[in-house]
Amino acid sequence: MSGQPFRLTSGGLIDRGRTLDFSFDGKSYQGHAGDTLASALLANGVRLVGRSFKYHRPRGVLSAGPEEPNALVELRTGARREPNTRATVVELFDGLEAASQNRWPSLAFDLLSLNGLVSPALVAGFYYKTFMWPAAFWEKLYEPLIRRAAGLGRAAGAEDPDHYEKAFAFCDVLVIGGGPAGLAAALAAGRSGARVILCDEDFRLGGRLLAEKREIDGKPASEWLAATLAELASLPDVRIMPRTTIFGLYDHGIYGAVERVSDHLPEPAPHQPRQRGWRIYAKRAILAAGALERPIVFSGNDAPGVMLAGAARTYVNRYGALPGRETVLFTAGDDGWATARDIASAGGQVAAIVDSRPEADAGRKALADKLGARLFAGGAVEGTSGGRQLDGVTIREASGATASVACDLLAVSNGWNPTLHLTSHQNDKPVWDDGLHCFVPGSLPAGLSVAGSAAGRFTLAQALEDGARLGREAAADAGLTPAGAGPVPATDPETNGLQPVWRVKGAKGKAFVDYQNDVTDKDVELAAREGFRPVEHLKRYTTLGMATDQGKTSNLAGLAVVAEQTGRTIPQTGTTTFRPPYTPVAIGALAGHHRGKDFRLTRLAPTHDWSREQGAVFVESGQWLRAQYYPKPGENDWLTTVNREVLAVRSGVGICDVSTLGKIDIQGTDAAEFLERVYINGWKALPVGKARYGLMLREDGFVMDDGTTSRLGESHFLMTTTTANAGKVMQHLEFCHQVLWPELDVRLVSVSEQWAQASIAGPKARETLRGVVDSAHDISNEAFPYLAVREITVGGGIPARLFRISFSGELAYELAVPADYGDAMMRALMRAGAPFGITPYGTEALGVMRVEKGHVAGNELSGQTTARDLGLGKVMSSKKDYIGRLMAGRPALIEKDRPSFVGFKPVDPAQRLRAGAHFIGIGKATVMENDEGYMTSVAYSPHLKHWMGLGLIKGGAARIGERVRAYDPVRNGDIVVEICSPVFVDPEGARLHG
Amino acid sequence: MRITCPHCGARDAQEFTYLGAADPQRPDGMAATEAAMVDYVYLRDNPAGPHRELWYHGAGCHAWLVVTRDTRTHAIASVEPAKARKAGAAA
Amino acid sequence: MAETATPSRWLPRRPWEGVLADGHFGKADETGVTVQTREALGIATLITGEDSHAALDAAMYEHFRLSLPRTPMAVRSGSRQAVWSGPGQWLLVADSREGFRGDLAKLAGLAAVSDQSDGRAVLSLSGPRVRDLLAKGAMLDLHPAAFPVGTAASTSIAYLGVTLWRSADSPEGPVFEIMVARSMAGSFWSWLSASAAEFGYAVTSRRASSADRG
Repeated sequence: MSGQPFRLTSGGLIDRGRTLDFSFDGKSYQGHAGDTLASALLANGVRLVGRSFKYHRPRGVLSAGPEEPNALVELRTGARREPNTRATVVELFDGLEAASQNRWPSLAFDLLSLNGLVSPALVAGFYYKTFMWPAAFWEKLYEPLIRRAAGLGRAAGAEDPDHYEKAFAFCDVLVIGGGPAGLAAALAAGRSGARVILCDEDFRLGGRLLAEKREIDGKPASEWLAATLAELASLPDVRIMPRTTIFGLYDHGIYGAVERVSDHLPEPAPHQPRQRGWRIYAKRAILAAGALERPIVFSGNDAPGVMLAGAARTYVNRYGALPGRETVLFTAGDDGWATARDIASAGGQVAAIVDSRPEADAGRKALADKLGARLFAGGAVEGTSGGRQLDGVTIREASGATASVACDLLAVSNGWNPTLHLTSHQNDKPVWDDGLHCFVPGSLPAGLSVAGSAAGRFTLAQALEDGARLGREAAADAGLTPAGAGPVPATDPETNGLQPVWRVKGAKGKAFVDYQNDVTDKDVELAAREGFRPVEHLKRYTTLGMATDQGKTSNLAGLAVVAEQTGRTIPQTGTTTFRPPYTPVAIGALAGHHRGKDFRLTRLAPTHDWSREQGAVFVESGQWLRAQYYPKPGENDWLTTVNREVLAVRSGVGICDVSTLGKIDIQGTDAAEFLERVYINGWKALPVGKARYGLMLREDGFVMDDGTTSRLGESHFLMTTTTANAGKVMQHLEFCHQVLWPELDVRLVSVSEQWAQASIAGPKARETLRGVVDSAHDISNEAFPYLAVREITVGGGIPARLFRISFSGELAYELAVPADYGDAMMRALMRAGAPFGITPYGTEALGVMRVEKGHVAGNELSGQTTARDLGLGKVMSSKKDYIGRLMAGRPALIEKDRPSFVGFKPVDPAQRLRAGAHFIGIGKATVMENDEGYMTSVAYSPHLKHWMGLGLIKGGAARIGERVRAYDPVRNGDIVVEICSPVFVDPEGARLHG
Repeated sequence: MRITCPHCGARDAQEFTYLGAADPQRPDGMAATEAAMVDYVYLRDNPAGPHRELWYHGAGCHAWLVVTRDTRTHAIASVEPAKARKAGAAA
Repeated sequence: MAETATPSRWLPRRPWEGVLADGHFGKADETGVTVQTREALGIATLITGEDSHAALDAAMYEHFRLSLPRTPMAVRSGSRQAVWSGPGQWLLVADSREGFRGDLAKLAGLAAVSDQSDGRAVLSLSGPRVRDLLAKGAMLDLHPAAFPVGTAASTSIAYLGVTLWRSADSPEGPVFEIMVARSMAGSFWSWLSASAAEFGYAVTSRRASSADRG
């Protein structure tokens, strides 16, 4: 027997010519192009698709859309395995593999369904009540147990092999939903010349028109649909985006969307992303997202075979799949009757129609007769039987008697809730409509209007009318002249007559309010009795409305049960509000390209390729990759390499890239005055052609950044900043210039990228430089002394800047050339320095030498230190105002006992120092009260052959010679160190001036 | 959010950096008191409603802007260059 | 003593070197985007006081026949372009560095002039899918109604700062010039190459010359 026993022989929007193979729980099936996984499973007679969250009850397909709480499956295998996908929206593809979730060892035989027998322990608030004590049991016992017993699918363990993208779009009118209202809106706006984007989460446009047998202008609705889609396709500024869900509405007309580019394929086509996260900027938007049907709470309402009546229609009419052979309809209004009619006309049997309304009119009676269905007017379904597959229902008749009817499908119709989620993303609250028995949009976010069912205007005629009117209005709001209002197409008549049934009381079994979280009416009652009546409390206590479906089918029923329990109306009880996302969004779609090595931006110096050639190991420094050290063959640990590099500099010459430092061009007649105000020290007296160390504070008195600033001309300075703070300092200077002192004539621009810069350091630095600097420039000690700056040429006319500045304490220069020549500069310096054993060195060696010289750097400029703390109090000018001056003088910041900057050396020279160690007096207890400060930086000095440290300690320089403990509980360190001068090497600075 | 930069046009808020209240004026000069500076650095109103605040268009024209934003709704009533404001005040 | 530096040994290394290679990439048989490197341009920032650019205006017109735009626009005259980059701020972009230092000297004293020629990496992007490519990064409306030829913007793409302008419309689609910081060329290319692959893209790297008016 061929598969698909429940497939109708004709009809539906599937392509019977294209058969697709797929598997579910390892068993092979066939479906057709145009199927969802759910419709294909139903066509194959597969009813049991999952086990419930807490009680492991058998569950089947409830819905035919994004609201599905039950039919969650793991899709695909291996690294592409994706948990919790809704079978009702998974588009079938050839080779699809799906597996049920939350069952062990198998779906049909689930040992943990015993949870149902111990269910008294799993009632509302069970997490809070049951697993209270002892706390230590949580990690070892409770949590693993709960995780095994309850939960949803498993994430793939391996890295996702697919790529994701972000994209941005702009439009006049965004239409959310491609049903009749949305299509009419897009058409009206598009005809007006608006730039329109129409998004629909489905892979096929049409909304409920695909699922209903309706007429528009006297013809099947499919004809109107085809004509409308054709016209939209002909409009150049209308963009139709199927498989795209608008999941969030944000400020100022920004909408978040996810486009499932390749989810309907086994794997993405070459160069295609799996999904694309969109940010859509819309002048106006029209929400035409339709409505979601509501279940009824009654005992056993979760049996596989209980289905929303509208969904049953969808499976019959759209997918040509019969969801059951023997149907009972349980309806609270006219809408459900369409299901009975459509199932019968497709060849299914309708065994009974249970209409909860007391009286059935003659037309309904006649229809029931025609369908051969028993009619129970004023009745209710109060129980189901059949375990893994529904086999019958118990009906309480209006008279009070009960009847049993055999069936394998129970279609439930209880009215619809507008899909108004997006309207409340900006805190607007839906309002209750007594006539419609549902929440409808209340106040709306700016720029959004709501059409059709999403607004509670449930008829097809209303949808078409709303769409046309709001589409024109939106175009007009966006500044266009709306196209003339043609006649709204006529539709076949429809009636409503809804009298909703929230709950059928009286039966013994579990009656589910929230399928996905296994929350029953009893749980909700219990929570209400225990005082958790506000909806938000109820939600958190019972978990009602949580997890992947966010209560799309359960929120209102929960409210209704609490309302009944507390004797209030639904609107008195509360309202349903929603936050983004409307449906689950994969993190990948939000991250886009930015994962792995592209997680964040990487900046490379113009000398990077040269450093790589030299075998550099790179280190991240903010966004930059900097050469950390240059190991040579045979050097097996970084310290060996760094020691060699340091000794080479101190004995000969080394070169190091410093291009990453921030460089800011400061020009204007008030440039010097500007520097006076942003730095703590003086600048007006700095001669042209000289550099000076500068330190700047934040306005709260703490150190912000430091660097060397040079005067290139009377009104032209070049500021350097630390690598890490370059952007922050630029922003700060712009603030000072534009907000604080716009009257100053100053022009600021970053030139960080223009210059490649190298430090040339060591006794042979000058001789090396002579090999690259054009001979016209005298760089002798006399002509070019310490802190001199000059614009020169190198390599035969290439403009360059030479600075005699030193971080290492050696005779040193920084040479800057236009970045295109950075690579050539390094090569030229290597050639010129070859006779002196020139050695490239990295940031590690640089760090060692700066510790040897007691220079502060990032570890000391921690945002918690003042200039005084760092021993730079004498640099602070008392003759001028500058940023941070007043706040730096606050009593607590100048108190003598404040930890301040000194050096440390181990008393036993063999011992290693550790940054982060805290200082404690010898013999004192290791408690917070005895903490005297901490070690900020350490390095091994190959020069002194022992470790040295810099740090902040109470009393600072006054305590030089004292001994304290450096206590480092993280690494079990506790050693005695001596407080010393922070300058370990060449305290006289003889090398610097050589 | 979107902010309409008076120089560049409407841009995503991602292009901007927020600083804080725009109205406190720095007590400039050697005569400024510590008390005034403490006010300027630390004391801020926290209005539920319109708030004049500084934003930096770092990804665009590098202008510092005064944005009047309703803190309850994020509705933006006006955006003006901070520079023009100070110049205007001095005139 | 070290050997004397010889000019021939100081070879410039352009920002796109080692970042991209010539050829056709991504989707086979389709070229949705054409990428052309714009090497060795002369680029400088010109900054005046916001309301004191009359002298610069005059000099720009006198020397280069360029009228400085007051709004985010890019204008071209001959081999030079002026691109608005902020109030009282422009980029002067020359197709070649020949004589560029001389150009800048003519503007000395009229504006704060900072040579940025080596600090920017520039691409010319064209082709029928170029807007679809840029939509994957630019939070800007590049529809011709909103961003016609001549419009310029400084913005961010993939978290890095860019200046871009629509320099022309050709039968194959619009042409955008896009400028990024040199250090970020690699990260920018990582985004661009991943984003353009679905359209198919061709890369040609070409030195600017006086004949090259992109």
